[in-house]
Amino acid sequence: MNERLKSLYQTVILQKSREDKYVGKLNDFSLEFRAYNPMCGDQFDLQILIEDNSFKCLKYSGSGCSISRASAAVLCEHLQGVELDTVRQKVELFLELVDADSDKQPEELTDDENLLAFAAAREFPERKTCADLSWKELLNQLDTLNQS
Amino acid sequence: MDIDQVKSQFPIFRQKTPTGKDLIYLDNAATSQKPQSVIDAITNYYSKEYSTVGRGAYWPANVNTVKINQVRSKVKNFLNAQSEKEIVFTAGATDGINKIARSFLAPKLKSGDVIMISQVEHHANLIPWQELCKAYGTELLVIPVLESGHLDYEWIKQNLSERVKLLALSACSNVLGIKNDIKRITTMAEVTQTPVLVDAAQVLSHNRVDVQEWNCDFLVFSAHKMFGPTGVGVVYGKQSLFNEMKPFNYGGGIVKEVTFEASNYQDIPHKHEAGTPNIAGVLGLGAAIEFIKQLSQNETDTHLEELTNYALSSLKAINGLKIMGGEQDKAPVISFTIDGIHPHDISTFLNEEGICVRAGHHCAQPLLQRFEVPASVRVSFAIYNTKSDIDKLVMALLKTQAFFS
Ligand SMILES: Cc1ncc(COP(=O)(O)O)c(C=O)c1O
Repeated sequence: MNERLKSLYQTVILQKSREDKYVGKLNDFSLEFRAYNPMCGDQFDLQILIEDNSFKCLKYSGSGCSISRASAAVLCEHLQGVELDTVRQKVELFLELVDADSDKQPEELTDDENLLAFAAAREFPERKTCADLSWKELLNQLDTLNQS
Repeated sequence: MDIDQVKSQFPIFRQKTPTGKDLIYLDNAATSQKPQSVIDAITNYYSKEYSTVGRGAYWPANVNTVKINQVRSKVKNFLNAQSEKEIVFTAGATDGINKIARSFLAPKLKSGDVIMISQVEHHANLIPWQELCKAYGTELLVIPVLESGHLDYEWIKQNLSERVKLLALSACSNVLGIKNDIKRITTMAEVTQTPVLVDAAQVLSHNRVDVQEWNCDFLVFSAHKMFGPTGVGVVYGKQSLFNEMKPFNYGGGIVKEVTFEASNYQDIPHKHEAGTPNIAGVLGLGAAIEFIKQLSQNETDTHLEELTNYALSSLKAINGLKIMGGEQDKAPVISFTIDGIHPHDISTFLNEEGICVRAGHHCAQPLLQRFEVPASVRVSFAIYNTKSDIDKLVMALLKTQAFFS
């Protein structure tokens, strides 16, 4: 396998895409939304329980490619326990990480290996929508939350 | 047939992909590559003979007017239509279906009427009808597809009635690659006097079509799936229907006399071709038909059938690979899934090897739901593909599988 592909399909991505720690449904949740990519059919339902002003618990279910699944899993992991005030900042950081047009190097943005793995999407523009599917939809949801 | 010689007419294959590989193009069901003759017809028009058509009595407008009429004649012969009057140029299959929906069917519809389509339809032959149903209180009846990919012909017989105002059906599914028996369907539809529209988008690059033998009322296709340019296509329609229906569009080029009070329209086919047409596109379509005609139909059939059978048996040998639909009446289109690997991931791996395949729902979401797969990989062949392309595909699939296991 070539180096380009290796960088995209790092062990982190493969492992996270198979991990079922965050897969499933919550009995009790404050926010539920669907991230859907009509171009390829990838579809995830995300549920978030908000308590004490922070993301207490997150789960996702649905189907998609290994990159979109890993990305949903890392979203859940990365935002678990995060205070509402800082969620947006974290989501925006991730979106910049996968954005080939960003003028920052991925390493300048974070040293979290699990997040950095997705920076390879910069080399695969056709896979960017897989990497940022759930994150972008979460950002939309945060916007609506703010308005209401 | 000398496939190398045929392939050498397609300039795109002379270069390497960005990953330094030979291009192995297996997405012909989406669109086919272009031979030099089609490219030349278009560049010649723009660089040496550019003008409008129909309206200018000067060179080069007179030349182009003659050429457009010649293409109409070529299309007529290609489909074995009775007359050039039955050939209307459009922007493609989607455009054609929408135009029939709007100008032919919509003015007749009333609540309680039925439009019949099938479960294998491309969104292009589903959504225009769905919208009509919404607007006119019409019912959409959907012919079920069997596990083999064949339509349930018994079901059609039982459900056809005078209430069905149009049966709109593809000649071949763009996902399963199973060809439908159009003759059988038009024979059934004759009994209830239901007009039949055939979506021939998937068949013209590899099958000769005879609209008189099929006895269909309308037929649509796109040039770009049969070696021609994008943005151009054809609606074939029986003369009586083209005559009776409203113009596809209103504007210049279709009228006889115009006053602010009223206008009357030219005879068919011009009545349905308002506006300056896609002249380069039509000329390219003419060159594409010439390209197909110079290939021997028998040898094309044999080549594509051999490739398809070879691909089916090579793919089936891969562990965990499942092919959607059966192998009877199979066009060179194969959709499959591989256990544990998402089609999108497969497509990224194949792309690194210079192999173009389609991953996703192929604009046929209800069909994929019917087969209970969220997405599939589709490979589809054209005259320039070879067994070596399939060997490389299989090798790359095995490598992908090894990586993900
Ligand atoms: C069966 C079928 N019908 C209709 C279409 C639509 O063709 P176009 O996009 O050229 O209008 C396609 C192309 O994808 C097709 O495969």
